[in-house]
Amino acid sequence: MREPATFLASAAFTIFTTGCTIIAHELSADLRGLLVAVTGHHWLSVSALAAALFVTSSLLLAGSESIRRTLKAEDIALWSRVLMAVTMFMTLGCLMVYTIHYISG
Amino acid sequence: MPDIIAGLALLLVISGIAAIYHQSWTVHAIVAVIALALAIYASATGAMLKGRIKGSSTDVFWLHRRIGVSLGAFVLGSIIYGIWIRLQHADPILSSVHGRLGLIILIGMVLQIVPSLVKKDRTAYRGLHMVLGYLLPAILVIDSAWGLHIGVLSETKYLVLAHSISGGLAALAFVWIILETMYPTEMGLGRARIASFAASLLVIAGCWIAGGYNYLTDYGSNVKPAILAGGYPWAHQILMEAKEHVFIFLPIIALSLSLTIYYLDDDRFAGDRRYRRAIAEIACMALLLVLLMFLMGAIVSKAGNTGLEA
Repeated sequence: MREPATFLASAAFTIFTTGCTIIAHELSADLRGLLVAVTGHHWLSVSALAAALFVTSSLLLAGSESIRRTLKAEDIALWSRVLMAVTMFMTLGCLMVYTIHYISG
Repeated sequence: MPDIIAGLALLLVISGIAAIYHQSWTVHAIVAVIALALAIYASATGAMLKGRIKGSSTDVFWLHRRIGVSLGAFVLGSIIYGIWIRLQHADPILSSVHGRLGLIILIGMVLQIVPSLVKKDRTAYRGLHMVLGYLLPAILVIDSAWGLHIGVLSETKYLVLAHSISGGLAALAFVWIILETMYPTEMGLGRARIASFAASLLVIAGCWIAGGYNYLTDYGSNVKPAILAGGYPWAHQILMEAKEHVFIFLPIIALSLSLTIYYLDDDRFAGDRRYRRAIAEIACMALLLVLLMFLMGAIVSKAGNTGLEA
């Protein structure tokens, strides 16, 4: 049986990893170059990465009971809060990085 | 009678504001957004009256009627405002899709309010009242997005328009999910599933793919250089850069919400408050993100338009 909360856990993991990649590619020209080289545009690569991460982590969590138990992936109250916190943190993080980038010229 | 007088007074106030700020489409947009919020509230109280969602208020009928009359005043006020603006520019009133949609909304509003106030036996009329009641918020969203698009860009870019209309309708679907979880009934889970699928489809196809295509094909080569050369380079360097990346979170959230609701069973939806609360929280966050993207998009479009005109 698929536990509804596992998809929120997958989303939290995906957004955290994608958010870190976004911030990192803004700070590192090498990573940005690598992302451009993969699909031709960094935005497309980040989009594809997010989609792939969500599908993979959802399948992994749905398939393994031990991972679900370790992460308490069935606790919907916990994972909804984690997802909200991660999303807000990463949104503010991205805004801050671009603001600092703009101010520093 | 007091409701009608209150509605007419409200209409008078809006017309007065229109007379003072007749050059500003922003105030027209604010009046339309208030009308949209009232339309959603009226639909929710209508659903409570029919028992589709559980109501907490004791006199829902009174509330529904009062909101309906206020909504009528705001819709009529918004249309008068729109006509006023068009006349200032000596433009034909019904030449645009925005104007024609406004007329459809006005006709719909008249069909909603007048028979409800005049007829005592509304049994035969309830079906049409219900259909129009649920259709009006959706048409209002489309018309508001269309109006905002014209106001900001002064021209019609259909891909950008489809992108913003999809966002507006997705926001409406998230509101629907929030209402179903706040006031749960037997059929609520099924309807929340439909709303979540609609939200996912709109966010992925309308916002992600259409918006992404526009960003890759038009924005980078035409709009971005104009913004950077104009007076508001921060609109691209901060807002658009953040928007294009933060936006990627939204389809993931919409999809996870859809899957969570899809795999939820009736017992847990109806019996366990934690599940409904979690869904409502995630839907609220998705709604806030959509509204944030909408605001950022409007500012970026305005900066792009200013840059292109310069």
